[in-house]
Amino acid sequence: MNEREIDAASRLEAEVLRHALRIAAEEASIVVVKSAHSAMIVEGADACAGILDATGRLVSLSTATNLMHASSLRCSLPAVLADHPLETMRDGDVFVMNDCFRGGIHANDLLVFRPVFIAGRVRFFTGTLIHVSDLGGSSAGGIVPGATDVFAEGLQLPPVKLYAEGREVADLHNLIALNSRTPDRVMGDLKALVAGAHVAARRLEALAGEYGPAALDRGVANYIAGTERRMRDELGALTPGVYRGEYAIDDDGLDLDRSPVVRVEVTVGGPGAPVRLDFSATDDQARGAINAGFSQALTGATYAVRCYVDPSIPMNEGCYAPIEVVFRKGSLLDPKWPAACGGRVVSVTAVCEAVVDALSQARPDRATAASAVIHPFTLAAATGGNPWLLLSYEYGGLGARASSDGPSATGSFFLGGRNVVPQVEPLEARLPLVFESQSMIPDSGGPGRYRGGLGVETRIRVLKDCEVAIRSERVRFAPRGRDGGRPGRSGEQFAVLPDGGTRPLLPKAANQLMYAGETFVLRTSGGGGLGRPEERDAAQIEADLVEGWVSPEAARRDYGFTGVKASPSAKPSGAAAGREVGR
Amino acid sequence: MSERCVLGADIGVTFTDIVLTRGDGQLHVVKQLTTPGAPEESVLGGIRRLLETTGVDPASIERVVHGTPLATNAVIEHKGARVAFVTTKGFGDLLRISREARVEDDRYDLFFEPSPPVLERDAVFEIVERCDARGEVLVGFDATQARAEAARIARYAPEAVAVCFLHSYARPDHEEAMEAILHAAMPDVRVILSSRVHAEMREFDRASTTLHTAQVAPLMARYLARLREGLGRLGIQGPLHIMESSGGVMSAAVAAERAVATLESGGAAGVMAAARFANHYGEKRVISFDMGGTTAKAGVVHDGRPRVVRELHVGGRGSYGGRRAGTGMPIKTPTIDLAEVGAGGGSIAWLDPEGVLQVGPRSSGADPGPACYARGGEAPTVTDANLVLGYLTPERFAGGTMALDPARAHAAIAKSIAEPLGTSVVRAAWSIHEMANANMASAVHVVTVQQGIDPRDHVLICFGGAGPMHAAGLASRFGLSHIVAPPEAGVASAIGMQATDLTAEHGHTHWIQAADLTVAELSRQFARALEVAREKMGLDDDEASLAGALEVERLVDARFVGQSHELSIPYAPAPGQEAAELAALPARFRARYRELYGIESTGAVEYAAFRVRLRIPVARPPLRRSAREGTDAPAAEWRDVWFGADKASRTRILTRGDLAQTGTLSGPLLVESDVDTVVVPPGWSATVDEVGSVHLRRE
Repeated sequence: MNEREIDAASRLEAEVLRHALRIAAEEASIVVVKSAHSAMIVEGADACAGILDATGRLVSLSTATNLMHASSLRCSLPAVLADHPLETMRDGDVFVMNDCFRGGIHANDLLVFRPVFIAGRVRFFTGTLIHVSDLGGSSAGGIVPGATDVFAEGLQLPPVKLYAEGREVADLHNLIALNSRTPDRVMGDLKALVAGAHVAARRLEALAGEYGPAALDRGVANYIAGTERRMRDELGALTPGVYRGEYAIDDDGLDLDRSPVVRVEVTVGGPGAPVRLDFSATDDQARGAINAGFSQALTGATYAVRCYVDPSIPMNEGCYAPIEVVFRKGSLLDPKWPAACGGRVVSVTAVCEAVVDALSQARPDRATAASAVIHPFTLAAATGGNPWLLLSYEYGGLGARASSDGPSATGSFFLGGRNVVPQVEPLEARLPLVFESQSMIPDSGGPGRYRGGLGVETRIRVLKDCEVAIRSERVRFAPRGRDGGRPGRSGEQFAVLPDGGTRPLLPKAANQLMYAGETFVLRTSGGGGLGRPEERDAAQIEADLVEGWVSPEAARRDYGFTGVKASPSAKPSGAAAGREVGR
Repeated sequence: MSERCVLGADIGVTFTDIVLTRGDGQLHVVKQLTTPGAPEESVLGGIRRLLETTGVDPASIERVVHGTPLATNAVIEHKGARVAFVTTKGFGDLLRISREARVEDDRYDLFFEPSPPVLERDAVFEIVERCDARGEVLVGFDATQARAEAARIARYAPEAVAVCFLHSYARPDHEEAMEAILHAAMPDVRVILSSRVHAEMREFDRASTTLHTAQVAPLMARYLARLREGLGRLGIQGPLHIMESSGGVMSAAVAAERAVATLESGGAAGVMAAARFANHYGEKRVISFDMGGTTAKAGVVHDGRPRVVRELHVGGRGSYGGRRAGTGMPIKTPTIDLAEVGAGGGSIAWLDPEGVLQVGPRSSGADPGPACYARGGEAPTVTDANLVLGYLTPERFAGGTMALDPARAHAAIAKSIAEPLGTSVVRAAWSIHEMANANMASAVHVVTVQQGIDPRDHVLICFGGAGPMHAAGLASRFGLSHIVAPPEAGVASAIGMQATDLTAEHGHTHWIQAADLTVAELSRQFARALEVAREKMGLDDDEASLAGALEVERLVDARFVGQSHELSIPYAPAPGQEAAELAALPARFRARYRELYGIESTGAVEYAAFRVRLRIPVARPPLRRSAREGTDAPAAEWRDVWFGADKASRTRILTRGDLAQTGTLSGPLLVESDVDTVVVPPGWSATVDEVGSVHLRRE
């Protein structure tokens, strides 16, 4: 065969291998989720699995799991390789780490790697990661917004051996168990992570047997190179120029008079990479725990750019190559050791908003208003005879899009769908809690030609004294609107006392006492609106009134709409609808 | 009664298949165009035709088994009945707040559109009441408020009411009190209680299951009433059984209340066809493989029974036929574990932006269909590739009812695949064929390897118009050495339905540590589950006389303390051995856990639910060669056929009837019938048995 024929043959056959590589990662993540012990993953699905080559390049990534983790496996494998050179690795070795200054995320997210030996050499790694329920630190469950350094956030692990040639390293297991408030769960989770890594490794070994090591390497290299070509083509279609975007964070929970800003300068079509993101102008790192380790900041930056290319492009190393990202050491996005990084989601979502802010100028047809972020919280009584812990979170509304309303109550950007929020009944069965209600918040979506999505209110009565830890964001500055759209309603959190009075709670603080009989209320924010509310279609306003997403008062106030009185089972008629003029 | 016949009626998108099995096993088949607005007419019309042509006495039909997509269509097209949803105060938004996963491409799409809410606000009613997980009352049921709400509900004028209170699995009496009030206010409106439909923990899943039941129940009841009346007019007295997703059937009398149990019954019937043939041949380990026009489905049948899971999603997204966990709405009902991929005869081959060949998931459908149908389709499909490779005889496709155009198949593959890549049309066609095999292999992988099952010792039983063309290629990927291609592959579902048992299942949540569970408590839990399961079986006297003895299977859902995914472990003590059996459960769970996840664990075990599965075996009609066999046009001829991209093999083409005459032959061969072509590559041999199945064996 000549070269063209060889190329044709490889294109005819490539997808079979690529599919197998994706399935291997997928299968590993399924095993982790199904066999894990921590409520965060077992009720939700906060797991991720990937395949990497021996140089640390990402080959494939599970497709149904949390993308917050997308870059972490590839960013942290080099640390494993630095501490454990390839030639020292043995078949059956398994490594674990979480150091956020070397590619990790934060203490509670454990990354597990297993070298895959083919013909006597390490050719690949399989990696799995999940959020475990507790790994120490000054608040049960690992939400420590007040941490001023990484030591307060939990046990730190450099890349260390969890299994040596298939045998459990008991010393390390004992060390981890002793540092967790929920040792049984964390030990169970470690087993799940290792099982997932094994499953993917077995698939790779089988593929090597089927294709031969050389053809497998070639297939992987072509896969990554092809992805890179597609990324370059798509990014090349963006209008060249320099676009600036920024997003302000409420605060770090400690220095309340300082609102750090993430700033990005996006250069499209410059001399270097097709897209260059320079975050150098971002504010300095914070004292509180909202800093993002570089792998997390990179996740946010690449994720946001990927939203402007064909979504079917696979996730592998080829996605990273055409995007140049610059962070400034000592800034929020690449802080100096030992800054606290547990609340990195606050900065990373601001990274996404800043990039979207910039690229909305390059692609007005793809413009998007700002969204709510995740509101993580724990309720726990960690000491005393019967320790218990709820680690959960809630989502809010997404920003309106240039041609549609923002979806309500779902994860923004890489955070995925609300299927990861646990259902109420199993939580009540395990924990001394009674959920009083869970409801959409009418009028929380930012008014606009396209309306922002709605936030959610959750009310949880605690039956025993406990502590609440919260890491909310967009509670001082509501998600902003765009192009004349108004901001969504900001989130809030407070306690309701048995006598009906209320007591404020801090949005970013751990160890806040709650007493038996009190109710913890969490409201997530609504997404920003896009376009002037006056331009909203009357039929859409009517539909919102019927569904209760917008109240009659708000329809009048925000949209100047007077046509319809929404009452149960009374369908609005188009003829009666009208709008006040002169607004 | 001189003869005992069984009817199977399966409604498909285009055709309704009616299969009659005579007392001696003789099969008669009729295909009737489906009438979408009144599907019972196509069933009744087909049966009338069949009775006329065969002269069978309607009184000799002892059973009609029916598979209907009514529930599926109603749910997917949002055409269910008008339903009021009643829930605990504070949780009115339970089903309106999304729990949808975002998977695959949706994850990178800032413009993704969530599924619309399943309920409008006016349909939701909140009742003052609250229980906890132990079934203790936190807020008493407020009957006065409930009566006021019932009056409002009556004004909403629903066709059915779904009631789901928090923790009703632990204490159903508030739901039952609500039911009484609703009945008083609206005597003719059906009320569906979550504690009866699905008495298990997780309010969203239970509410979704209850809501969908209520949306479908009135439609199902009306439809079955019309159908039963029509059957009566035809003189058919035997009971009507409705195919379920679990592979069992239920009495039409209870099918309205159990309507969501039919949501995946189409796929289930196909697997039951594999089970029927597996039982006929005494094969204990079987993979069922059904390849149609748009998708291929794989399932596993062990010891004559398919593997059953307890959840499906409707309106799901992503690959595997929308079966991605977390997408769509969950329905908790026993469902045959099927993996589905978008690879069928009509699946379109295309080059992605990188120039790499892809097959599916887009399909040309029946119209315009593959390029070779010459109905305007220009995209190359799997069927076009199979035609180019020589597997199909153009003038005898679909029994000669539709001639295929090889030139168009050739041109489509050349234009879209071969020319852009600079390769030959045959090489491109071979790759399309192989890619379809690889896609289908991933479905087989999901139901075997991912479940800890080694596929290599399984027999592959294949159906669907395209199944027998791809079976050998698929089998080779897993090292399988025996394939069965049963006769009448085009009406496999209707054939499968005829060999089904009456089944019902019920489980309820009850959390208890393994160490704390006594035999007395266990018996109490199973007795409770058994009582409801019997109600769900709902047999009338006719069926009781038809049926054999009731079989009861007991299962405990077990997990390690703190987990929330469970495995069902059978509890089947010999008389007097209850204590020993109970003591053996944790070890049995650990062994299953190790098999699935490869994890050795000594952690404490807890139980989460207790279930009972009921089965009433129904006598199977015997299998015999189809009446149509032998009517296939004789085709003793030879042509060049491609079993690889490099060279063609001179290949003999014959019918199943011919092969029966010749005895075992070695490949390459093509064995044709009116409905399918069995491709026998070199290295395989083929033989036909007494019922008309072709057996392929690796040589």
